[in-house]
Amino acid sequence: ITFARRGVCLSKPHYNALCRHVAPMGSTAKEEMDKFWSKNTRLNRPVSPHVTIYKWSVPMMMSITHRGTGIALSGAISAFAVAALVLPGNYSYYLDLIHSLSVGPYLIGLAKFGIAFPLSYHTYNGIRHLCWDIGKGFKIPDVYRTGYIVLGLSIITSLALVGRGAGT
Amino acid sequence: MAAIVRLSSMCRRGVKPLFYQSPLLSRPVAALQRDHEQQHLPTARIHSSQALHGSDAKAASRHWTAERVLSVVLLAMGPVAYFSPGPVVDYSLAAALTLHGHWGLGQVLTDYVHGETKVKIASAGLFVLSTVTFAGLCYFNYNDVGICKAVALLWSK
Repeated sequence: ITFARRGVCLSKPHYNALCRHVAPMGSTAKEEMDKFWSKNTRLNRPVSPHVTIYKWSVPMMMSITHRGTGIALSGAISAFAVAALVLPGNYSYYLDLIHSLSVGPYLIGLAKFGIAFPLSYHTYNGIRHLCWDIGKGFKIPDVYRTGYIVLGLSIITSLALVGRGAGT
Repeated sequence: MAAIVRLSSMCRRGVKPLFYQSPLLSRPVAALQRDHEQQHLPTARIHSSQALHGSDAKAASRHWTAERVLSVVLLAMGPVAYFSPGPVVDYSLAAALTLHGHWGLGQVLTDYVHGETKVKIASAGLFVLSTVTFAGLCYFNYNDVGICKAVALLWSK
């Protein structure tokens, strides 16, 4: 909120109009957060509605999708790793197994899209995040613009990857 | 170390300062109250975070930077894996993917898991998952076709 201004005023004490009374607390932010949660869970208080009542925006949805795709991709990698350790036979065996099911080109294409899209989206949106990390692209119109670019690129890349696989 | 200055600008119309100096608040205040006048003024409480000392103080900041560096490295590995597949890339990919996922899931944990015991259990579970993931990927790289080849084979179907 207004903490930034407070920081500025402390270094320039002659700006009396902007200065306010400040008292440092003896606890860290983490301790305060822990106290908040332990008190409220102890008293069994419900959490106020937030995501269920606030109007959803494209940036909000893209943010949670970034998290969702990240979790999904990580889960898929872990599942693959566990499978490699646990299942008998080798990779080619299981590939042939899937192949022999002859599910049809459309379903294979759909499955590939299902892998390609989360990967593309997470990668492109990840670049968008890195741009924010160096301080670029915070203005709201830019947030929306870069967001739509990420969505567009993700769809195009995923389709291209699926199309490429089908061609070989 | 409290700065004793005027509070007028904080008391804008219609905006109530959140932190009133009140006996109901149980927060410890490190500052010394010297002025009588102060007790009638709303006091903003800030975190001075002096609990962290020495190397701990910058640990979180360094972790943040390391997360971004790893993200860039992982990004660069994409084209490398495509143009020069092989065991070096396979193992590097296994390490980078696992660590990126581990740190990412760690942030998810921090956001949604609260309470000391729950955090400890979840962190332990995450550590086990990441270890098993890395082990499995290395096993696959060693005993099977490897990550790059696996992706190529999968896509050629």
